[in-house]
Formats: sequence, structure tokens, C-alpha cells
Amino acid sequence: MKKENRLAKRKRRNQNIAFGLFQLISYSIVALLFIILAFIVVKGIGVISWEFISEMPKEGMTQGGIYPAIVGTLCLVFGSMLFAFPVGVLAAIYMNEYVKDGWPKRIIKQMTNNLAGVPSIVFGLFGMALFVNKLEFGDSLLAGSLTLGLLVLPVVIRTTEESLKAVDDTFRQASLGLGASKWQTTSKVVFPIAFPNIITGLILSIGRVSGETAPILFTVAAYFLPKLPTSIFDQAMALPYHLYVISTSGTNIEASRAMAYGTALILIIIVLISNLLANALRKYFGKKVKMN
Amino acid sequence: MTKKALFLMLPLIGMLSCGKGKNEEGATTAETTSATTTVTIKGSDTVLPLAQKESEEMMKTNKEVSVTVVGGGTGVGMTALLEGTTDIAMASRDLKTEEKLKFSEAKKEIEIVTIAFDALAVIVNPANKVGQLTREQIEKIYTGEIKNWKEVGGADEKIVAYSRESSSGTYEFFKEEVLDKKNYATDILSMPATGAIVQAVGQTKGAIGYVGLAYETKEVKPISVSYDQGKTFVTPSIASAKDKTYPIARPLFYMYDKANAAKVKAVVDYALSPEGQKVVSEIGYIPLN
Amino acid sequence: MILMLSSASTSITVILIVFFLFVEGIGVFSKKPIEEGFLLAVHPSNTIQKLEPTQIKDIFDKKITNWSALGGKNEPIVLFRTEDITEFYSEEELGENFEHFPAKIDEYITRTPGVIAFFSDKYKSKDFHGKELDVNKITVYKFLSGEEWFPTAQPVAQMGVKPLILGTLWVSFGAILIALPIGLAAAIYLSEIARKRTRNILKPLIELLAGIPSVVYGFFGLVVIVPLVQDVFNLPVGETGLAGSIVLAIMALPTIITISEDAMSNTPRAMKEASLALGASQWQTIYKVVVPYSASGITAGAILGIGRAIGETMAVLMVTGNAAVIPNTLLAPVRTIPATIAAELGEAASGGMHYKALFALGCILFLITFCINMLVELVTNRNSHKKH
Repeated sequence: MKKENRLAKRKRRNQNIAFGLFQLISYSIVALLFIILAFIVVKGIGVISWEFISEMPKEGMTQGGIYPAIVGTLCLVFGSMLFAFPVGVLAAIYMNEYVKDGWPKRIIKQMTNNLAGVPSIVFGLFGMALFVNKLEFGDSLLAGSLTLGLLVLPVVIRTTEESLKAVDDTFRQASLGLGASKWQTTSKVVFPIAFPNIITGLILSIGRVSGETAPILFTVAAYFLPKLPTSIFDQAMALPYHLYVISTSGTNIEASRAMAYGTALILIIIVLISNLLANALRKYFGKKVKMN
Repeated sequence: MTKKALFLMLPLIGMLSCGKGKNEEGATTAETTSATTTVTIKGSDTVLPLAQKESEEMMKTNKEVSVTVVGGGTGVGMTALLEGTTDIAMASRDLKTEEKLKFSEAKKEIEIVTIAFDALAVIVNPANKVGQLTREQIEKIYTGEIKNWKEVGGADEKIVAYSRESSSGTYEFFKEEVLDKKNYATDILSMPATGAIVQAVGQTKGAIGYVGLAYETKEVKPISVSYDQGKTFVTPSIASAKDKTYPIARPLFYMYDKANAAKVKAVVDYALSPEGQKVVSEIGYIPLN
Repeated sequence: MILMLSSASTSITVILIVFFLFVEGIGVFSKKPIEEGFLLAVHPSNTIQKLEPTQIKDIFDKKITNWSALGGKNEPIVLFRTEDITEFYSEEELGENFEHFPAKIDEYITRTPGVIAFFSDKYKSKDFHGKELDVNKITVYKFLSGEEWFPTAQPVAQMGVKPLILGTLWVSFGAILIALPIGLAAAIYLSEIARKRTRNILKPLIELLAGIPSVVYGFFGLVVIVPLVQDVFNLPVGETGLAGSIVLAIMALPTIITISEDAMSNTPRAMKEASLALGASQWQTIYKVVVPYSASGITAGAILGIGRAIGETMAVLMVTGNAAVIPNTLLAPVRTIPATIAAELGEAASGGMHYKALFALGCILFLITFCINMLVELVTNRNSHKKH
């Protein structure tokens, strides 16, 4: 009896140690997040000012602001969403509402998964080969947006599909039972219910797009532009590329380092806001949309 | 069905309204950029900061020209010039034979303008005792024959050699001038940009690297170099590069298609003007005279 | 119709990607690694017929200095490049527009028995007396097994991608070695141990890690992790595979945690309760019931994590040092495929051999990630069969 007690005690102790360790690890991951954030925030907060986000770079990128890079990133986000959102949503609707289970669906699903796994640099290569060279868009907002659009397409499709799946089948049956057509059911019943969750997915993809560097490296990014892009065939500056360039080149490294931290901070703020917004929405609508 | 149409319209409406917003935004800047010619400059990352600052200064006074500056490396600039996607190519080396051939095949006559000189400084970590090296020693370090600082009179410390990526004109120039055209050893670390080399050499004890004189900072120590087997060592500086006693110096170029000369005239003229040459010194390169 | 088209969009994209990558990438094979329009020639009496690219590089690096080392006559090798001509002939002799250039090269080669000359086709005279050397074409096997990556080397490019492939796998493997135990521990904590409230706070925070752009990770790695690795391991250099692995591990963590945690949460409550009712401790329940049950989910998470790490570009480019050597330790610099593409594509003249070689690298990368995705599919499929 006593022996068993000791054994149980030891077991309990071991378990507590293990659990404590796991807890420690989990909290350290979160701590790591805060370290990275704090690191960027502390070093970058000093640079942030109204001028920083509203002015052109000056004095060889060591003074002034990053306004054109912000505008460039916003244009890219908008352009890529303009392409990826309608296509992705329609694809998800078709897959979820129309196609019956079977091999075509499986193949499309598999292809979507594969596309999601394609490394971003490969998208860059592809964008350069197809949009920039073959279709002769040149280095332009159009080429960059399409490349980024393809990159987030699987994300949009997946989140939309999840949201559609979350809609209870009784709604569909009720609507169909009342004599509504399939399309009416989808567009008037299912889609409105799923819409908030779809928007969440959209916001998440915005976060993804604004942070990508590799796909825009050879399709749109410019080092310095004297003015904002005026057409979709113009090159543009973009935040992630700007950060990459000023943190690795420029003759006055110490002076541009501050600008680099500032740019990193702005970039993180944009990404975090879109993530937090998505999270808040997700919570607000009470239904879970999967990330990744 | 109307719903579907509406659904398809949504992004369109969004686009229109945004486009409008952008137009208004553009209108405020349009006053200054009306009736302008847009000149694109592309190429060498070494010339990049110079070209960027020069165009920035120029655009303050000359409202008729708008300049876009894009980096990527000398090779990128040459390709772009050949394909006609840039007006001016920045280069930190002369045309290669095959590039000359390609231009002549494309029936393009290329005008080459020297806009400044750049001296390459060989740099080490400030904690390193070694203060001078001969060209042969540097060659052996970069081709992997010398692996420890004690072989060249330093502490017993492994040599960590940093180089630029093979895309840069600096890489080629260093190979031609200092390595006697031999290939770099495979274990040389290559960095995507000069700034990264300075950063790395500054925080690595056994490091050696080469950068343009303009990039030199307090974080790294420049090495005196001898080109006559150790008789005289010359410290890299603007003065020694100007009077040609420092051997590792090279011209920096703007290259453009002669057919395109009128368009780029303002930019090239500015680069050669006294104001342009003042920017050259400010950036840390060596002015033409 | 529109619906169908858009649903096929991803498939079309994948096919397009495959098509463009392979069309460009395949071009590198069956090409000679020598610059187009150039030739290598030797003295007519030279017995050498063919040379490997590596041999040519060694000759021009002056590592091989005698023809006997290559099975030829005992004759010292004399290098000749086009621009060397001015050392032997004056400008007048060559003519104003180099019109006598071909004749002079021919003359020089025939009078120098040990010569190996590298010059343009244009300067090859009609009655050329020298012997042209044949350079072996790049084969798939050579491309994959070559150990040297000098895509811009003159006169002959070295296109060996083995160090790059191994570097990529090496760094990703290191990353998963770090990330898997940590990620698993965190997933177990989140799904089995933590209270619901804690979990609801922690999980979104961990997922935020996935939202931080890779450039920011690279930047953070460059100024924080690289010096740290250097100090801790007392290394001569901080830009190492390990620094890359650590950064990639942080980036792969959210993927691993999210997917494993989902799998664990799906363990039927009845199974867990049965185990507890039989007197097993919570710990025993976790590693005897929950972990085995969700094993395939965890595996999928780990594989996806590797996939993410393999394709990561910017962060790796900034922290691994990019030296193209075959890695044998995590504490040395490595060069990965994505970093190579990002760093070199800008320079390569479009359509050239180097450009095509980079697309071939893209193909390899695509194939690796494609296999990984298929593997995930396999693993998760097996899981769903098990469930039913």
C-alpha cells in the first residue's frame, strides 16, 4: 500500500514536472513573439512620425519617409485581392455547393493544396517568366499583383470553403424546399450567412500579401521612385522590399538602420492589425475559420 | 441573376472608387510633374546610392525630368539596356566582350560615361592585428590557400572571407584585379549586398571583406594593400585613390543607347556638373577631377 | 461556367507553373556550359580531345599547370584569353578594327605548343590551325551531382547543384529538429493541459508568429540571432546553417502547433475518459492515447513545417552566409536553393544559361515541395480511413 503510494507520488511529481515544462515552453514561444515585437517596436518607435509615413525618402534613404512604399504595398494588396478574392470565392462556392464528391473534386482539392505549398520564390520565378517576360507587362504593378494574387488564391479558397461548410445544411434544405433554385439558395441564403467568415479570410490574406518579398522581387519592386505609380504598368516601391534593401545596402548603414527599424515596425503594424482584426471578427461571429 | 451581376460588380465599383481616390492624390503631385520625361536608371548596387541622391537633388531644381532608380546589379542593368527596359544602365565595371557582342548584334551603339571613381577597400574586424596585406596574400585568402590569420602575421584565428554575390560588378572587378582572374574558393561567404558585408565583418572577429570606400565605417578597419610584393603599402583613402597610388580603384559608369541620348541628357549632364560631382564626394566616392 | 472556370483556377495555375518552370529549366540541359559564341582551342599537336568543366576551371585557376595531369604530353599549360592578345601584338598589328585579330590568334596558337585559348567564335579565322576542344554538355546527372556552383565562372560555368540541394535540406532538417519537440510540447499543453481561457489567449498569439513577414524575421535574425549563435558556440562566423535553422524553426512553429493541436483536440472524449477511468494518469493518457491517436496529424504538421522551411527565401538569404559548400555541420555557412534564386536571378541575362539553370533550380524546389504535399495527403488520408 505504502509502496504504491510512493509510486503514485513519483508519478504525480514527474507529471507535474513534464506539465510545467510544457507550460514553460508554450509561454516561451509567446514570449519570443513579444521579444521580436518589442525589439522592433523599441528600435523603430523613435522614427515613426507623421513625416515618416507621409513623405518621400530624402538624402539617400536616410531621411524623410516611406510614403511611396506604403502606397505601393496598398496598391499591391488591393490589386492582388481584386484578382484573388472573386476567383477564390467563386471557386470555393462551386466546389462546396455544386460539385459532388468524386475524383474531380479530389483532384482540384489536391491542386489547391499543392499550390498552397509552392514556395513564394517559385511564384516569383513564375511571375517573371509569364507576366513580365511572356505577356510583356514588364516590371509593373499588374505583374506583381497577379503574382501575389495567385499566391493567396489557395488561402482565399480554403477559408471560404471552411465558412461555407460551417453553414448548416438545414438552411439549404429549407430554401430548396421552398422552391428556390440552387443558385438562389447559394447566393441568397448560404453566401450571406458565410459572408462574415469569408471576410475574415480576406483580411488574413491581406496580411499575407503585404508581407511577401520574394514574389515581388522580380515582378514589381523598385528601389527609388520619385512619384507614386500612376498606372498599373508602373513599377512601385513596396514595404517588404524596401526593408530588405535599406537593411542591406546604402552607403550610410548607421543612418539607414533607423529607417529600417521604422519600416519593419510599420510593416508589422499592418500585418498585426489585419490579423487581430480577423481574430476579433472570428470571435465576434463565433465561428471558427482556420488559418494557414 | 441580378445578384450575381451585383456580386461581380462589387470589385469593379471598388476599383473605380479607389482609382478616383488615387487620381485625386496624384493631382496634388501632378502640378510638379506635368509634362515631364521619365528616365529609368537601373543596375549596379554600387552606383545606386549615388544615382539615387543625384536624381533626388536634380529633381529639386529640374522639374521636367522624373527619375526612377532601380538596383539589382550591373548585370541586371546591362540586360535591361539591351532589352530596352531602362534608359540608363549603371555599371561598376566595363562592358564584357560578350555584352559588347550582344549590343552590336542588337544594333545598339552604347555611350559609356564615367561619372565617378570608386576605390575598393579591403576591410577586417577592428580587433584584428593585421593592418597590411600584399595582393598575393589577398588572392590566396580568397582562393582558399591561406586559411588562418597567423599565416599572414595575425593571431591564430580562422579567416572568414566575405564576398559579394556573383551578380555584382564588384565581385567581377575584385576577381579580375585582385584574384588574377582565378575563381573564388567555394567556402567564401557571399552576401546579397555591401551593407551586409560591413555588418558581418563588424561583428565577426576573423572576418575579411571588400567594400566600396564609401561604405567604410568605424565598425570595420581598412587594410593597406601592396601591389609590389610588399615594398610599399598604400592605405585606401579618397586622396590616395585620386592620385592613383591606391591600386584597387575603378571607374563607375552610366551607359545608354546613343539613339536615346536626348532623353537622358539632363541626367547625364547633371552627373557630370559641379553639383553632381559634389554629390559624388558627399556619398563617399571619388570625383572625376 | 464562370464558377467552373474559377474552381479550376488553382489547377490551371499549378499546370502553368509547372509548364513555365520546366520549359525554361529544361533548357539548361543539352547545353554546353561554355559561353555561347565562344570556343576553347589548343595547339594542333595536343592529344587532349575533351575536357570536363571542372578540369577547365582548374586549368584557368592555375591548379592544373601541366597537360600531363590530364593525360596529355608533358607540356606546361599556357593560358590565353582574348584580352591577352595585346601582350603579344601591338595595336597596329591587330588593325584599327581588329581586322587582323583572327589571323594573329591563329598565329599565336600554332606557335605555342602548350596553349589553351579561350576566345570568341568571331575571331576564329577561316583556315584555323588550332584544335577546338569539345566541352561535355550539361547532363541531368552532372547537374544534380556536381559539387561546385560557379554559374558565372569564365570560361566554363560550373553548374553543380548538389551543395545547394543539400544545403536546403540540411537547414530545413535542422529547423524541424528544433521546432518539432518545442511545437509538440506546446501543442500538448494547449490541447490537454491548459485551461480553456489560457488556451484562447495563447493560441491566437502563437498564430500571430505566422503573420510576421519573413523579411522581418531575416532582419531580426541578422542583428540578433547571428551574433548570438557566434557567441554561444564561439564560432569564427555567425552566419551559419544553425542561425538559419533557428529562424526557420520559429517560422515553422505556428504551423506545427496549429495542426498538431487540432489533431489532438479531435481525440474522442470517450477514449480519453476511458483511459483515465482505468486509472491512468493524465500524463499516461496523453502519451499512450492522445499522441498515438493524433500521430498522423502531428506528422502532417511536421511535414508541412518542413515544406514551409524549404521554400523560405528572404529570412534564409539574410542569415545563412550563402557559401555554396556541401554542409557537414550546422555550424558552417550554407547556401539554399531559394536564396540562390533570389540573389542571382536579377543578374542572369534572361534566356541565358545561368537564367535557365536558376529555373531548373526552381523546378527542383517545386518538386520537393510537391512531394511533401503528396506525403501530407497520404498521411492524412490514412488517418481518415482509420477513423471510419
